[in-house]
Amino acid sequence: MVQFHDHIISDLLEDPTGGLVILSSGLSLHKLISSLLLLHHHPSSSSGTLLLLSATPSQKSSILTTLNHHQTPNLPSEITSDLPSHHRFSLYSSGAAFFITSRILIVDLLTSRLPTSSLSGLIILNAHSLSDTSTEAFIVRILRSSNPTLFIRAFSDKPHAMVSGFSKPERTLKSLYLRKLHLWPRFQVYVSQDLERDPPEVVDVRVPMSSHMKVIQKAVIEVMDACLKEMRKTNKVDVEDLTVRNGLFKSFDEIVRRQLDPIWHTLGKKTRQLVSDLKTLRKLLDYLVRYDAVTYLKYLDSLRASESFRSVWIFAESSYKIFEYAKKRVYHFGRLDGGKLVGQSKSSTTKKRKLKDTNKEKEDSLPTLTSGVALEEVLEEAPKWKVLREVLEEIKENRDKQALSREEPVIEGEEDNNGIVLVACKDERSCMQLEDCIMKGPNKVMREEWEKYLLSKVELHGLPKRNKNKKKGKDPKGFGILDGVIPTTPGQKAEASSISKQENDALLAAAAEIIKHAKKDIVVEDDPQSCVGSGGRAKGKGKGKQRKTSGSVQVSMNRDDKSDNGAAMNDKSEMFASENGGQINKTDPVVEDGFHESAPKVASSDIAVLRKPAQGVDATSFENAKRFPPVHFYALESDQHILDILKPSTIIMYHPDMAFVREIEIYKAENPTIKLKVYFLFYEDSTEVQKFEASIHRENGAFQSLIRQKSLMMIPVDQDGRCLGPSSSIEPQSITSQNSITRKAGGRKESEKEMQVIVDMREFMSSLPNVLHQKGMRIIPVTLEVGDYILSPLICVERKSIQDLFGSFASGRLYHQVETMVRYYRIPVLLIEFSQDKSFSFQSASDIGDDVTPNSIISKLSLLVLHFPRLRIVWSRSLYATAEIFASLKANQDEPDEVKAIRVGVPSEEGIVENDVRAENYNTSAVEFLRRLPGVTDSNYRAIIDGCESLAELALLPVEKLAELMGGQKAAKTLKDFLDAKYPTLL
Amino acid sequence: CQSQTAHNRNAILVSHRQKGNPLLKHIRNVRWAFADVVCDYLLGQSTCALYLSLRYHLLHPDYLYYRIRELQKNFKLRIVLCHVDVEDVVKPLLEVTKTALLHDCTLLCGWSLEECGRYLETIKVYENKPADIIQGQMDTDYLSRLTHALTTVRHVNKTDVVTLGSTFGSLSHIMDASMEDLARCPGIGERKVKRLYDTFHEPFKRVV
Repeated sequence: MVQFHDHIISDLLEDPTGGLVILSSGLSLHKLISSLLLLHHHPSSSSGTLLLLSATPSQKSSILTTLNHHQTPNLPSEITSDLPSHHRFSLYSSGAAFFITSRILIVDLLTSRLPTSSLSGLIILNAHSLSDTSTEAFIVRILRSSNPTLFIRAFSDKPHAMVSGFSKPERTLKSLYLRKLHLWPRFQVYVSQDLERDPPEVVDVRVPMSSHMKVIQKAVIEVMDACLKEMRKTNKVDVEDLTVRNGLFKSFDEIVRRQLDPIWHTLGKKTRQLVSDLKTLRKLLDYLVRYDAVTYLKYLDSLRASESFRSVWIFAESSYKIFEYAKKRVYHFGRLDGGKLVGQSKSSTTKKRKLKDTNKEKEDSLPTLTSGVALEEVLEEAPKWKVLREVLEEIKENRDKQALSREEPVIEGEEDNNGIVLVACKDERSCMQLEDCIMKGPNKVMREEWEKYLLSKVELHGLPKRNKNKKKGKDPKGFGILDGVIPTTPGQKAEASSISKQENDALLAAAAEIIKHAKKDIVVEDDPQSCVGSGGRAKGKGKGKQRKTSGSVQVSMNRDDKSDNGAAMNDKSEMFASENGGQINKTDPVVEDGFHESAPKVASSDIAVLRKPAQGVDATSFENAKRFPPVHFYALESDQHILDILKPSTIIMYHPDMAFVREIEIYKAENPTIKLKVYFLFYEDSTEVQKFEASIHRENGAFQSLIRQKSLMMIPVDQDGRCLGPSSSIEPQSITSQNSITRKAGGRKESEKEMQVIVDMREFMSSLPNVLHQKGMRIIPVTLEVGDYILSPLICVERKSIQDLFGSFASGRLYHQVETMVRYYRIPVLLIEFSQDKSFSFQSASDIGDDVTPNSIISKLSLLVLHFPRLRIVWSRSLYATAEIFASLKANQDEPDEVKAIRVGVPSEEGIVENDVRAENYNTSAVEFLRRLPGVTDSNYRAIIDGCESLAELALLPVEKLAELMGGQKAAKTLKDFLDAKYPTLL
Repeated sequence: CQSQTAHNRNAILVSHRQKGNPLLKHIRNVRWAFADVVCDYLLGQSTCALYLSLRYHLLHPDYLYYRIRELQKNFKLRIVLCHVDVEDVVKPLLEVTKTALLHDCTLLCGWSLEECGRYLETIKVYENKPADIIQGQMDTDYLSRLTHALTTVRHVNKTDVVTLGSTFGSLSHIMDASMEDLARCPGIGERKVKRLYDTFHEPFKRVV
């Protein structure tokens, strides 16, 4: 905790009803929450249970780690649906603190399983994702009405997300019944004072990009710009937002989507494609500075294989450069004769194509290709790699010098300086690679990536025949989608494939070389174990003999220069080693202790030993490791707060990140005795720099806007000074319904009895239950097999938002759902719900086209109606309109029966469990995945789930066992064949 | 006379009441002819449609009810084709919805005459069409099926499917891959790795 944290807390505690805190990202929100939890357990504080809502897994774990640090016995546990309901009831009244999801909480509130009087308060994280109709708002409304004294404290550390949309902070406050907005930007006086009192020493290293990288970056930006220009032409997005600078951020998608969502279903294919292309291009920029040259090329290959028919950008002139130069970073390809390598000539693209055309003609006359062409490896290593090694060496040198000048550096540093160097990268992948890079040297890492790349090419060409057939089958389809936007496609495609054919052959030859080389080794070793080790991989491929060998060779391949031990053994030990390494990186404090007690030099060799416990340590890596101080790698994506645990004295920001910079600042402010040095590695003139600077700008801008909005806010307050909440402004008549919150609703004036609606658990992700409740209906949450809402014994409603509607038509789910509804209910209803802020229509008249086409939504709806003449369709303008329609449809109907509704559609052999929460109890994505596998049907998937633990286990089951589970040889074989089928397509 | 009925079987029969409805201009892909029919549009042996403009409904709120009553029980599929031609839709649409629903009619909404016309055309053209385009029967080739399955995992896109396929070689290897191996795939970030791994390794049933 830094001083300003105390300020934040005391400010927040001033108002007993709570408040909304927005702070800059990276200012250790988890520490704030932890100290609130500590306060909660303080004996002086009022008793009552504290619930923590909507924490992400990483937030949970960092809060727990921080609390552990303080050695409190009262760690908050998690309330899950696994706990039986009476158990949950007792936890709710226990007075402790719990993490809980909004879904469980709302269901327990609606079914009166939560004694609201026993709560002292609610802490809501990620307040930026709230809206007035979200479940959290629903929860707060119920809680507030039954227990007005409890506090609501909401937090967000994503200020830029708080300014999206119209007066969002005000609406958020209202929906949480709060008055106070607390803003804590990084530039706030207390914060900046605390953090700038004794800032860490910063070294800014600008690394020039390689010339090829520059060309690629320029090309990507050009293409991006072209896409943005196209976007502008559509006149559907605010032009001001359409800048390359904005395009660098993920939030760009949000900006665009927010503007396009209202009309999304009316957009043409081309505009939608542009939106997704911009996303792809942003990734390309990001990966350019993150991935090594080979991996980048591999990613581009995948991209081309998966996107080629849909994307607009892939055919742009500049895109050609992206692919060309990405390739140049890896290898040159050219003809030998004349001594001129085609790949090297810097002629314009058109010329190049011509050259290759002649190549192709030659090729026709020359049966043996490899004789005429050459493949020259370039394998450009990432410029930052070299710099990182240099920096590490420098650190080591300095330390050695210090150690010489001072007699006993260890003792002095023991307490707060353990000599750990922390390298912060964006993702786990970079961590692993950089670690390899330091241990084995960059050349070797590149070689390995290259060999892997070549081998994957070999595999892909294993089935050239089938491949081609597939392509042919697909071509016309691609056409249909493109709608003739790019008429050059087929020509280019054909041309490209013929060019690349020769090139691919050269690559294959290179791969074959490697394999041959490896085979020799294998023969020498003659190791049966290698087959065992790689058996898992080889098995699936074994269709032809040749491939089988290549498969089994593959694993040992990469390590053929290690002349010891069997390949398989080596492989395993390596795996083990890296796993170990991962652990070290993260949290193992015991190992850490071991480190800083020994002198740096010893420690470094320790690492080498620890990471490679097997015999495989070769001399070079040992040597390499010696030259560097102990290094830890940290993936920013993992979102763990490790600074307090590792206590590093030097931090290298390999991938700069604003939030982490703040974390470093706080770490430094908390530990003023540590002499902290921070290196920033930026690629010069890269989008990386731009992005980093823009992220700071953006946050400051967000705060300025928040401060302005705060000064203009109007929050209605009652006599006691409590916020009146949102409903007053939305629907005056529903104020009365606020008193009817409990299921008994004793105090209601209206003579008619309370309306009831049975709602499927899964629907609590949406806002409709909230709005129905606002309208005064009683909500009964259960798990429904058929339908989403049951309005009466006759009426069953399947609700589809527009996006869902399109999606579930495509997947066939809607057909299936309607089919079952029709089977079980007299009045099956499909509710098509438009969104309030989006246009109320499927398409404009001009988009309708001249013909009846199967892809049009009109055609799909017509077919549905023709096949289910009993299906009723309800068209709703908005959530609120839906609530009105429900009320009016229910008017003369009986109330629905909860017990009956639950039983509908459930196979009879499956007993009904009391308070069954099925959606929570299943790994839904795994079940959905399973149901999409060939051979799996509606009738046999339950048996598979019963007889098999997980998908991973399923992958290994023999076909006999599958046949047993699936009730038939044929289905089992279909599934098994699919699981083990060799992945065919690409290039 | 024989040819006349055959001719009519492939055409939409339009009630004389609809004379002058500009909607007729937009029925171009199917033949239509005036005839003495009780509904507005006879679209098949047991399929009929009534046309209603919301603006008209506001003036004559009872019109729809009387027209539906006229139809009696002669049709399996009775469509109310509602032309949404007013700005303030919520109240009139609620009334139309309720009338249609309680009297066994299927409500379809069109926002332009073109769209309304297209519904009539499509229902006629698709009269005997099987439902396969809405049953989600996707392409049966390997990659489509693989994509279909893998994209159930949130945020996994087509490019990722290619990456995973080409890296691991088969679906069973993908399903069996370690977190680390998944993380080594370009384009697959921390969250995707976790989602994929959980999908494959978390048990189907959370509570045993």
